[in-house]
Amino acid sequence: MAEPRGEVFDLGYRHYDGPREGRMRARKALWANGVRTALGLGRGSRAKVLPVLFFVAAIIPAVVLALVASQVDEVVGPGAQVDIPSHGDYYQIISIILLLFSAIIAPELLCPDRREGVIYLYLVRPLTTTDYVAGRWLAFLSITLAIAYSGQVILFIGFVLAAAEPFDYLRDNWLDVPRFLAAGLVVALFTTTIPLAVSAFTTRRAYATAFVIGLYFISFPAAGILTGCDEETDQRRPAPQVEELGSGPCEPITGDAAKWFGLIDLGKVPIHINDLIFNEKSESTVARLVQELPNGVPIGWYLFLTAGPGVVLWWQYRKISV
Amino acid sequence: MSPLLEAKGLTKRYGHTLALENIDIRVDEGITGLLGPNGAGKSTAIKLFLGLLRPTAGSAEVMGQRPYESVEARGRLGYMPEHDCLPGAITASDFLAHMAQLSGIPPRHARTRAADVLRHVGLAEERYRAIGQYSTGMKQRVKLAQSLVHDPAMVLLDEPTSGLDPGGREEMLELIRRIGREFGISILLSSHLMGDVESTCDRIIVLDGGHVIEEGPVSQFTQETETLVIDVDNNRDELVAALATRGIQAKLEGLLVVVEQENEEQFDAIRDALVEANARLRRMAPRRHQLTDIFRRSPDG
Repeated sequence: MAEPRGEVFDLGYRHYDGPREGRMRARKALWANGVRTALGLGRGSRAKVLPVLFFVAAIIPAVVLALVASQVDEVVGPGAQVDIPSHGDYYQIISIILLLFSAIIAPELLCPDRREGVIYLYLVRPLTTTDYVAGRWLAFLSITLAIAYSGQVILFIGFVLAAAEPFDYLRDNWLDVPRFLAAGLVVALFTTTIPLAVSAFTTRRAYATAFVIGLYFISFPAAGILTGCDEETDQRRPAPQVEELGSGPCEPITGDAAKWFGLIDLGKVPIHINDLIFNEKSESTVARLVQELPNGVPIGWYLFLTAGPGVVLWWQYRKISV
Repeated sequence: MSPLLEAKGLTKRYGHTLALENIDIRVDEGITGLLGPNGAGKSTAIKLFLGLLRPTAGSAEVMGQRPYESVEARGRLGYMPEHDCLPGAITASDFLAHMAQLSGIPPRHARTRAADVLRHVGLAEERYRAIGQYSTGMKQRVKLAQSLVHDPAMVLLDEPTSGLDPGGREEMLELIRRIGREFGISILLSSHLMGDVESTCDRIIVLDGGHVIEEGPVSQFTQETETLVIDVDNNRDELVAALATRGIQAKLEGLLVVVEQENEEQFDAIRDALVEANARLRRMAPRRHQLTDIFRRSPDG
């Protein structure tokens, strides 16, 4: 609006007689504002650095895999049986990026509103705490989904273009699309909900981030140790990492319980479901052990670790005091 | 038509603390002051009307609706909290447009409203700077602006002058008067300062210890027996004695002679008393009632 105009012809106060769209508009605004906040839009250039870096980090593996797929035929000749990474592998590769991204960025959507007191301005407007929490949650879910799907779409296009007969490839592999859509949702739901639930308990972003990353990184070696090889009974294989595919698992130090301990590795929880969706035989020790359990166990564990924090998040905001 | 705000038998208890006990308030159009010392229950009353709290007993209604039962009732209310409530990293313009949308205004209109309202509170060019860089006075204006951005029928202002220097305070009060008189938006203004309320409001509700101890038009609070302060250089005791012989009760408060003024004829008698006592007059002025006077007068206080 042109400022000088306002100074010369001061129109005085004008009442608003345009449309009032109520709660649905408030929800949309919450979602859009959440997306902008997560991406650092409208907040100076420094806020955009991390989201961009993570986005690039998640896309690069997809581009590399697509390029590899396109070169395979030329290098080893058509029809050769080469194990090219598939859609099922992609989330395994980028899940750590999504976990870090969520742990670092998600608290940005909740903590500052409470630390700065903006939350009270939200709560006196025509919306409920449930609207607020759901709006923030959906906003961040949209971002993690966008990251997860972008890579898969690039990968899919790469595979189609690299195929000798693209239409045959589409006909034979169309099932990969619903699979990566479903698996992407599984990964995004998990990585979105836990850090947001943790953020509901602190007004300091750094604490929430440290706690979530700590949770993932403690559970990772903990599961590693508990499912590690028993060196006394298996001298030749001192560490699980050097196992070769198909050589069979070594005897874990915790014996038969090891497959349950495999569930401890929180970062892998959505990947177990990913493996089920793509029907992948996983190469990692933890994943292979978990695959020995009935399918319902990793699915139930995943649902518990996603719905649980979701309920905690909702409940924590319901009883927010002013 | 139902009043803008109405409390009936409103009670709010926090654990063992009784913040409000069985109060009845009715607020109509215009500027109403909610006056009381800290802890009187002013903020609690405001939060009950906003639906941020649920009453322990009784009801708080906004235009006939209960805001803690239906969030739509808040659509035509604005609220300016006492404490900090602004994001530091975004611009006032973006922030206000967002707040307007949260009140149901579509994005296109929200931008216009944000610019208009910021201009009315005196923030024009600055609105494209991050709020974190603003002075206390500017932040206070943004807080006020966000309460107006959706063009509410009524705004609830919780201690809007707190933290401001005398100049900033006067500007804020002037702005509030304009909102009430020119913009035609009704206001409930809470303050612990009699001066703020007296110079701004049409009506006053006095709260203390969770009770309504007095309410009525502002004139009721200022007309009643006015106190006259006489500041003389010398012969204070003689002046008090000379006043006493003319039937005027005067008392010494430090270096000031204070007279409870009853009628205008007293001025002549005071003039004669000053001459008789041979006291050099420096200043003579009415002293308005302080908040403490109201509490001293009230049966509970």
